[in-house]
Amino acid sequence: MSTSILETKDLFYDYSGLQVLTGVNLQVEKGERHAIIGPNGAGKTTLFNVITGLYAPCRGKVIFKGQNVSGFKPHKLSRLGMGRSFQITSTFHNLTAFENIRMGVLSRMGIRFNMFQRVDKLKDVTRETDVVLRRINLHRESAVPANALSYGKHRALEVSLAMSTNPDLVMLDEPTAGMSRDETHSAVDLIRRLTEGKTMVIVEHDMDVVFSLADRITVLHHGKVLAVGAPNEIKNMQEVKDAYLGHGGV
Amino acid sequence: MNKFVRNLIMWVVFLAVAGAAPHVLGIVKTNVLVELATFALFAVSLNLLLSFTGVLSFGHALFYGVGAYTTALLLYHVEGFPLIPALLLSGLAAGLAGLILSPLLVRVTGTAFAMLTLAFGQLMYILCLKFREVTGGEDGVAGYDIPPLNIPGVASLDMLDSTVFYYFTVVVCVIGIMIMWFFTKTPLGQVVVGIRDNSLRVDYLGYRVRHTKAIIFALSGFFAGIAGSLFALFQGVVSTDGVLHVMVSFYPIMAILIGGIGTFFGPILGSGILIVLEDMIMRYTERAELVTGLLFIIVVLYVPGGFVWLWMGLVARFKARKLRMSKEVEA
Repeated sequence: MSTSILETKDLFYDYSGLQVLTGVNLQVEKGERHAIIGPNGAGKTTLFNVITGLYAPCRGKVIFKGQNVSGFKPHKLSRLGMGRSFQITSTFHNLTAFENIRMGVLSRMGIRFNMFQRVDKLKDVTRETDVVLRRINLHRESAVPANALSYGKHRALEVSLAMSTNPDLVMLDEPTAGMSRDETHSAVDLIRRLTEGKTMVIVEHDMDVVFSLADRITVLHHGKVLAVGAPNEIKNMQEVKDAYLGHGGV
Repeated sequence: MNKFVRNLIMWVVFLAVAGAAPHVLGIVKTNVLVELATFALFAVSLNLLLSFTGVLSFGHALFYGVGAYTTALLLYHVEGFPLIPALLLSGLAAGLAGLILSPLLVRVTGTAFAMLTLAFGQLMYILCLKFREVTGGEDGVAGYDIPPLNIPGVASLDMLDSTVFYYFTVVVCVIGIMIMWFFTKTPLGQVVVGIRDNSLRVDYLGYRVRHTKAIIFALSGFFAGIAGSLFALFQGVVSTDGVLHVMVSFYPIMAILIGGIGTFFGPILGSGILIVLEDMIMRYTERAELVTGLLFIIVVLYVPGGFVWLWMGLVARFKARKLRMSKEVEA
């Protein structure tokens, strides 16, 4: 618990005047499962998008593996070892499950501009893709187009696509959004299994998921960090209860 | 193995038909086939953008025109310029045009892309129309010699012989189409399809979306340029209306939509339908667009996606029925 893999320093972001992030100081230690929670409109998703390079911060810094990566484009962050999943399922919907995962595997192996070999002749890519599909229990559906998968499986594909580049830090944006109780349960298992030995940051509304997965929790409120701590501490903190229930505030 | 045998049979049939065609059909029909092959190559090159990258270009004539003018001007100004280098240089010039435009084109998709390509296509049209000293304006470039194909020590093939030129065109087009087909099977070809489906995700997986798109624009431009060059060699005259007119851009889009969008071989079928139909109508009237346009509307309304999809739908239905029947027998 000493080296932090991801850090944000005094991060500001506004949507043309609407201040969403007002000085976020976040610290994610290497190897931990870190959850970001907060009431609606706290700026969780914005924070997520700023960290993963979709938006450049207005002020402040994002530090990943000791390097200032503020304003880096997603593909650059991906190559540095950051992966992300999306709240609204965002796979390659016309491609099969196999082809979806293969996109990540190709990138991981650094095969990004190869136009002189057939992709199905690259044996190690095929093998590695099969391994991934087996791990997420999708090997029987490998030839099924992503948009024909059941919702739960599609979400599983979404999360494993983020993992397919083998990132050191994976950012999951509400991985269980819209799932039934059973699906949520197996999704949590899957996430726990996939992120073994990795660092994970998760934004989640479902408190059961948060408390069963996270080692540490950051509470975001009005674009600022309200509290940081272990799940048990957070559960009993008066400020957090107030923020969620709406009295007091900051 | 089964697939291999099927492919082998298809190739044998194709080669036999393509080989025998000029001897069976006569000169006039052979020339129609030359047109067809060139057009198919052009349509497939556009299809790389439309079906695989997912962007609609209204200005593909630009690359076709650059290829055609390059060939015409080279042969006009440099005496004895050999055939194959002229062909390849035309392709490279068009590919280069694609690369030059790509910094702008990779930034936009959808309607903006269509409008931007339309603008560039029209810009090229006007440029060539007004830059009379070089391009000859409306009259175009004509009167250049078509060089023979010299294979040192083997033969010198006269390209003015329609049969010989037909074989030459077919070989060039088949090679070109095969290279593009191969491309769609490579990792880069997969990334391109990924960009079509979800370019943001491709970015998040660590690929450079814009660089990848630039490569595909250059490649698509290259083969459109080769098709333009074949046109120049075939017609012996290159003018703005012949190679840069906006209809030159629209026609392959029609071929793709009639043949089958989203498939690799659909555009070839579409090209066949359009060119053969046009040839048949031309016997009765000059206004071929009346009929081809009508066909286009009918396809868009009743066979959305094109004939390849109609065929695949029928096959699927047939298979389903067979499956059901065998199940009933079992029961």
